[in-house]
Amino acid sequence: MALVSWPAWRALASSGQLGLGGCGAPRRGAYEWGVRSTRKPEPPPLDRVYEIPGLEPITYAGKMHFTPGLARPVFPPWDPGWTHPKFYRSPPIHEQPLYKDQACYIFHQRCRLLEGVKQALWLTKAKLIEGLPEKVLSLAGDPRNHIENQDERVLNVISHARLWHSTEDIPKRETYCPVIVDNLIQLCKSQILKHPSLARRIYTKNHTLSATWNRESLLLRIRGSRGAQLSAKDPLPPIASREEVEATKDHTLETFYPISPTIDLQECHVYDAKDETGFQKDSPYPHSHTLYFLERANLRPHRFQPDQLQAKMILFAFGSALAQARLLYGNDSKVLEQPIVVQSVGTDGRLFQFLVLQLNTTDLDSNEGIKNLVWVDSDQLLYQHFWCLPVIKKKVVVEPVGPTGFQPETFRKFLALYLHGAV
Amino acid sequence: MAAARCWRLLSRGRARPLHTAAEAAATALETTGPDVAARYPPIVASLTADSKAARQRRVARWHAKAHAAESVDEKLRILTKMQFMKYVVYPQTFALNADRWYQSFTKTVFLSGLPPLPAEPAPALDVAALRAAACDCLLQEHFYLRGRRRAPLPQVREAVVSPFLDQLVAALMGLLSPHNPTLASAALDCKRPVNFYWLRDEEIISKGHRKGRVDALRYQINDKPHNQIRISKQLPEFVPLDYSVPVEIPVIKCKPDKLPLFKRQYENSIFIGSKPADPCCYGHTQFHLLPNKLNRERLLKLNRADQIEVVFRANAIASLFAWTGAQAMYQGFWSEADVTRPFVSQGVITDGKYFSFFCYQLNTLALTAQADQNNPRKNICWGTQKYKKIKSALIPKAYKEKKA
Repeated sequence: MALVSWPAWRALASSGQLGLGGCGAPRRGAYEWGVRSTRKPEPPPLDRVYEIPGLEPITYAGKMHFTPGLARPVFPPWDPGWTHPKFYRSPPIHEQPLYKDQACYIFHQRCRLLEGVKQALWLTKAKLIEGLPEKVLSLAGDPRNHIENQDERVLNVISHARLWHSTEDIPKRETYCPVIVDNLIQLCKSQILKHPSLARRIYTKNHTLSATWNRESLLLRIRGSRGAQLSAKDPLPPIASREEVEATKDHTLETFYPISPTIDLQECHVYDAKDETGFQKDSPYPHSHTLYFLERANLRPHRFQPDQLQAKMILFAFGSALAQARLLYGNDSKVLEQPIVVQSVGTDGRLFQFLVLQLNTTDLDSNEGIKNLVWVDSDQLLYQHFWCLPVIKKKVVVEPVGPTGFQPETFRKFLALYLHGAV
Repeated sequence: MAAARCWRLLSRGRARPLHTAAEAAATALETTGPDVAARYPPIVASLTADSKAARQRRVARWHAKAHAAESVDEKLRILTKMQFMKYVVYPQTFALNADRWYQSFTKTVFLSGLPPLPAEPAPALDVAALRAAACDCLLQEHFYLRGRRRAPLPQVREAVVSPFLDQLVAALMGLLSPHNPTLASAALDCKRPVNFYWLRDEEIISKGHRKGRVDALRYQINDKPHNQIRISKQLPEFVPLDYSVPVEIPVIKCKPDKLPLFKRQYENSIFIGSKPADPCCYGHTQFHLLPNKLNRERLLKLNRADQIEVVFRANAIASLFAWTGAQAMYQGFWSEADVTRPFVSQGVITDGKYFSFFCYQLNTLALTAQADQNNPRKNICWGTQKYKKIKSALIPKAYKEKKA
């Protein structure tokens, strides 16, 4: 079109019928019509007579039609007398019933903290310990806790999730990630033969958590859907002894000046500072045991980085423990006699992050005093890669179909976290 | 015919009368049998001619290729490669009397009540614990869970019942696996596709460039059970393979279009929920959740109270036939290579309040017109009436009791 000359193009365009020219082109192009926007035109400005104070403008409102000499009437906005839910206009933020002057910084499940784990530790007043606690590691290493043919069954689980469960040739992460976690939990559940107390648990999805706390004059809140959670009838026993808990008094929280600790949190003035565990008060399974976070997005930029995922896990585990503590011991800020332990597992189908959090205190206002404890085991690969189709070079199968670089240790830790509290 | 012509030409060429030539041929055959066979290739119909014999030969060649396939994947590929227009059968359907139609499509006999139990004594089950677990799941989803996002109105019931069913299945599997070690190593699928493709009767094509010719009727089921349990060992049979049931299969004289059933052409798929390489390739139980459209209240309002049972039965027959058929095809059986052992699966169908239990035994896969000529075997489906679970009115009552 660019090379055709103007008269020739006009001839081509106008050779067609009315409205559309030849080849479906409009008779006059965008250059002549202007780009047709669907935006409403602006209302005309008010008459100058309205700017003169004390003067009553004479309008043509009573005459019910436009008259050139009279002013344009200004009518009050129409009130239909009833509200249609589709056309509801919410009142401005200052007039909303839950408006508060103090800003609340909310962490929800899509918040990616800039400083990652450091920021999460500051927000939850916790001390980080690398690696899982010895109690859990001993459960992982104990051969009595292993399932028969454990490695073979885990490899079957991986193959099922990555290849077999779908009719497609190469299933996407959105399908295989939840399948692999469900199957691993199913595999762990088969240990119910040896440990009958595993039956006192329930696996639920899609309920929301809400917890609020103060941290050095900042009001922080966690609110969001937790993904999947394993709840139990009995609470998890505390891991760190009283001496270790007392020793955290000497630990100083790492700050990251000049970055504010509330970066990447959503600032909100309209909130309701209520705590919610996601269950009714007298639920038969009141104690959260493990939270499972799945990074299911197909595209890498949509998934959380391991650091951000660990921060999210810390904050949600903390929120869960805090809501539980407030329910059991009331809203006062104090050091807990019986610390509350919550575990967490985050994965994208291949890389696993394990976390154990012990809530020692709900006195979170100051930076001194007893801190909470967080054990993190990060970046555990379950398998290096999975070939859905065999790699054939020069008619020789170089890589067969199946997982490569399988690490059985990761599943042992997964199983240990599952069995913790029931063994 | 070709042979006779051949001999006639030869005799004319040698100027001998026919009968002497025939005698000579007969004696020649008797004396030099293997030589004759070696000199002439077998006299068969053409492969490429536009004739019935040629078509039969092509079909036979295709069957031979399927028989000779080395792996199950290859065999399934050979059998499902060619796509033609086929009827799409929906297990959960609003069609009237769909269960009789599906019985005729799948050659299934429906018997009410459950099959005779095997002779071994049933293990002592802690019914109270199972009941408590079921109550817990029910209360958890209907009452205890808070903060769930409200689904739009028609989907509220499914948004509550669907997780309840998941929980119930998981809880029951956990509690019953001590009694049944196969269940402990079973695979639990949630909403995985189950597909099956088969050929049944024949019809004369009414219009098109193939008008007047005989064509098989093709069916495809694409089902998505809410949950299913797959095990690595096959369930034992309920009745022997050649058990003759006195009940007759309904014969429907109309075309399937009258059901209504519509034709489409797309991928022919055979899938049990996971690919053939999976060691858990036998089915145990399927759990189905009926959609809101097939609600009991809705059917009563439309004055179709008799169709309530039909909905459950049609779903059971179609889903379980597809599942057992796919399991059999994963083991290498197909319509020309009929099953040598029966394939058994169970099903539980619910609409949230009412549960129905079904058992299915697949005795034959030979449903094509050619294979079904002398096939006395029938597939059998046993089914129960609906059972009501705990009434929802008890939920606030239970809450009050707990509070007090």
